[in-house]
Amino acid sequence: MLGITLAVGLPYIPSMTQLQPFAAELCLIVGIVAILLLPFFARKTNVGTGAVALITLGVALLAVLFCKVQPGEQFRGLLLSDSVATFWKMLLLAFTAGIVVMWFATTRLKMHEGDAPEFFTLLLTATLGMCLMASTANLLMLIIAVEMASLPSYVLAGFRKTHRLGAEASLKYVLFGAATSAVMVYGLSLLYGMFGTLQMDGPAGIAATIARQGGPAPLLLFSMMAVIVGIGFKISAVPLHFWCPDVFEGASIEVSAFLSVASKGAAILLLVRLCMIVAAAMGFRDGQVALSLLAVTLGVIGAITATVGNTAAFTQNNIKRLLAWSSIAHAGYMLCGVSLLVAKGSDIVTPAGVNLPVQALLIYLAVYLFMNLGAFTVAAVIYRETGSEDIREYAGMSRRAPLLALTMIVFMFSLVGLPPFAGFSAKLNLMWRLAENGSWWWLLVGVIAANTVFSLYYYSRVVKAMFLTPSDKPAIQTGFAGTGLALICAVMLLAMFFGFSPFNEMTGIAASMGLR
Amino acid sequence: MEFLDKYLLSILIFLPLVGAALTLVGKDRNQVRWTALITTLVTFVLSLLLLATYNWSSTNANYDYASNHGVVQMVTRLNWIPAFNIQYLVGIDGLSLPLVLLSTFVCVLACLASWNIDKMTKGYFALFLMLESGILGVFLSLDFFLFYVFFELSLLPMYFLIGIWGGPRKEYAAIKFFLYTLVGSVGLLIVLIGTWLYTKQITGLPTGSFDLIYLASAGVQGKLASNPYFFNTVAPIFFLLAMLGFLIKVPAVPFHTWLPDAHVEAPTPISMILAALLLKMGGYGIFRIAYPLFPEAAKHFWLLIAIIGVVSIIYGALCAMAQTDFKKLVAYSSVSHMGYVVLGAAMLTTAGFNGALFMMISHGITSAMMFFIVGVVYERAHHRDLNRFGGLATTMPVYTGLSTVGMFANLGLPGLCGFIGELMVLLGSFAAAKPGTILYERFAAMGPASLQGYLTSVYTLAVIACFGVVLTAAYMLWTIQRVYFGPEKPEYKSFPDMTAREITVLTPLAIMAVLLGVLPSVFFFMFTDRTVEALSKLF
Repeated sequence: MLGITLAVGLPYIPSMTQLQPFAAELCLIVGIVAILLLPFFARKTNVGTGAVALITLGVALLAVLFCKVQPGEQFRGLLLSDSVATFWKMLLLAFTAGIVVMWFATTRLKMHEGDAPEFFTLLLTATLGMCLMASTANLLMLIIAVEMASLPSYVLAGFRKTHRLGAEASLKYVLFGAATSAVMVYGLSLLYGMFGTLQMDGPAGIAATIARQGGPAPLLLFSMMAVIVGIGFKISAVPLHFWCPDVFEGASIEVSAFLSVASKGAAILLLVRLCMIVAAAMGFRDGQVALSLLAVTLGVIGAITATVGNTAAFTQNNIKRLLAWSSIAHAGYMLCGVSLLVAKGSDIVTPAGVNLPVQALLIYLAVYLFMNLGAFTVAAVIYRETGSEDIREYAGMSRRAPLLALTMIVFMFSLVGLPPFAGFSAKLNLMWRLAENGSWWWLLVGVIAANTVFSLYYYSRVVKAMFLTPSDKPAIQTGFAGTGLALICAVMLLAMFFGFSPFNEMTGIAASMGLR
Repeated sequence: MEFLDKYLLSILIFLPLVGAALTLVGKDRNQVRWTALITTLVTFVLSLLLLATYNWSSTNANYDYASNHGVVQMVTRLNWIPAFNIQYLVGIDGLSLPLVLLSTFVCVLACLASWNIDKMTKGYFALFLMLESGILGVFLSLDFFLFYVFFELSLLPMYFLIGIWGGPRKEYAAIKFFLYTLVGSVGLLIVLIGTWLYTKQITGLPTGSFDLIYLASAGVQGKLASNPYFFNTVAPIFFLLAMLGFLIKVPAVPFHTWLPDAHVEAPTPISMILAALLLKMGGYGIFRIAYPLFPEAAKHFWLLIAIIGVVSIIYGALCAMAQTDFKKLVAYSSVSHMGYVVLGAAMLTTAGFNGALFMMISHGITSAMMFFIVGVVYERAHHRDLNRFGGLATTMPVYTGLSTVGMFANLGLPGLCGFIGELMVLLGSFAAAKPGTILYERFAAMGPASLQGYLTSVYTLAVIACFGVVLTAAYMLWTIQRVYFGPEKPEYKSFPDMTAREITVLTPLAIMAVLLGVLPSVFFFMFTDRTVEALSKLF
């Protein structure tokens, strides 16, 4: 409790250099307040709040791009600022802006007048929480960030108030979420009890404490597992994945898209942070056995998650459920990367200081973002026009909406991991990093390779419906915003494949500068 | 010349892509198909320039670049992803040159054969040209990564071409083709990653390499062989994984079941390309990647590969004999013929290599012919049931004449191209029992007992393979008899003979079948001899 009393007892005024890395978060807060106040001044608020949200995200994105980041701990060690956090904020803000565009293209027409302020308040608050999740350096901050991301998500999942499935989804999400959160907090309390500090890093941090004292490995392992349960729920790792398809199905489509990337990405990065700290600390002393146990557990969970996700997707006819299982599978691939990070800790760093597994994860996240945003956008536009989420209803889309159908080819085959799309580069890069470490990592490479084959079947079902199955239904109006967004995503996926070199260098910088 | 040396290969790869873009802006059907035809024609003419730019006079028979004097010439090298040492690296040698010529040649004819496509013409020809691009890319790239990208790139258009323009069970056939090939290419992907990593680790260089010629060079191979773990454990696994990928593509028994489905459902011109060119990617991969990169494993597993080849020959032929569907018969005959390619590779003799390479070209020509022949009669009769045909010789004399050339070339009548390929492979197989060949020396060094066993298996396999020739003759002759001979049937009486367009497609193929059959030495002398010599030095 020492940290809290200190923070409360003494007046603390952060300096500009400390505030600068968090300019994006500050922008978001201003935007949230503005959106909350907007209904007091205007009668029709739906379009207005959407615009304010978009502007907020745009400004926040600019703030991330142009504000100087002083790597290190800020606000007395509550938050961390480094290049990974900056990169993630960039991705997340751009992605959320994409979600708002998607909302404009689809749900805006259906949403009850006056609901939008609530919707965007929740969306931006969740975004804020996810920004913080990736830059937390303190156990208490960790809980706050996770809850700040979760609570609005629960409400967002059930935002279609008249929709029965939405209510069910929301309830399921909140119950599962609360239970796993409790386990996580329990694990965190054990960590605090063991080390007497909330600081994850720094002079008196957990890492330093473990390194100094050796640390009781079994208890540490147990508490880490408890924390992983909480984070694994957000990632939807097997066996904590049951909520995912139901929530995705029940929530409106842009919320599903948001959860599929933002929530999982933030959780993955949080896991990366925790694991790096613990790995560094355990590797320092004789925690090698516990460490490899942790790595194996994560690797096995990753492999199982990928396989379960891919095989369960086989029979899905609802596009949102299909993409939900697909997102579970991709989370599995990413967990394999985290497992590598735990096992090898900071050993796999290039001379230039690039942490290779972290880089692979960042590449994967960036590519995954565009694949999912695009696929959900296409699904959303089709849903808007046909009212159906059933992929059997996609018949003849190659004629009814040629441009959308073409971009869907890119998204689906990129999700499979076929060249010439960036999904291939990301997957290859991840497999490469695993294979580089030889021995049993080849097993994970094999699992990912086999899963690629499994996944082709169900992704190609979407393409098959669109291109191979004829239909005499009339053409659909795709609209400018939806098509534009899908096209941008498709072009990005091609660009990241052919221009993998600059993309690789960019993520390399993100995975090196000031990373701890 | 300087310009051509540098850019001709890249132009060949990307010209069809430009054509594909042009077809998409075409106004009507006629414009689109003329654009496609002109693109394929220009590509073909440009590929003929290769004959002039390739330096034939050199006597240097080493599997390396050595400016323009080595076997591999006209190399273009650009950095693509420096962090992984991935290059845009294209070049040509006696292995790829005939296949490139075959590809551009068959594509022109297949484009002509597609003249009547009336469903979504734009999409069809755009995909068709993308496919040509992918095929040429596979044959021309010398960078493993680039090869892999093109290998996969050729899958996507094929999936749509079968899936959209195919027959009644097109969806099933398309996904089956896709899944089978992907299983193989995923194995190849593992080999791709592993080769790079192990090369880097063992050679101690700052980065690994994807350069296929460099990886096969004595310097790298020597270092790899000096590492016992790689040599005894990793290399065999990688060899088998790579072979799996290519044998599925070839396709060899037992990985062949996608082929009959794909062929039966694919439209005629796509069947022509599939049989004539896509299967060759498998055979080419064996010679370009699996064997040169893992020579020791290739020697170690010679028996397995040879058995797969022989089983493909015999089983394919027997299956062909049992078919009543004309197209399925041709598909199985492809399995049987590609078995010779596998057998020729497995025996590791110069005659076997030469035969396998010749077989790929001759099968490219005869299978394109055969599928077109089936297409012609299917367009008129709307069925392919062999037992319902008969007496076409009187109603369609020109068709019958040209078909018989194709069928005899396929069954291996002396004087036509099929004969040379089969003969060379069989000669090569028997030659493996002679002292001085790679495998003979290997087993001779192991002692008389193993040599005896080796000789027995060589003779057994070669003799069994010979029966394949008889079986081929049997089913081909039986087919000719059932389709063309016999009493004239009333329902076929009104069939018009071949149109000028159809004759234009078939005649060049027939001429090539005869030319290659009469003057095979030109082929060996010009294309393969020096490359095969260079390849043999690797083992």
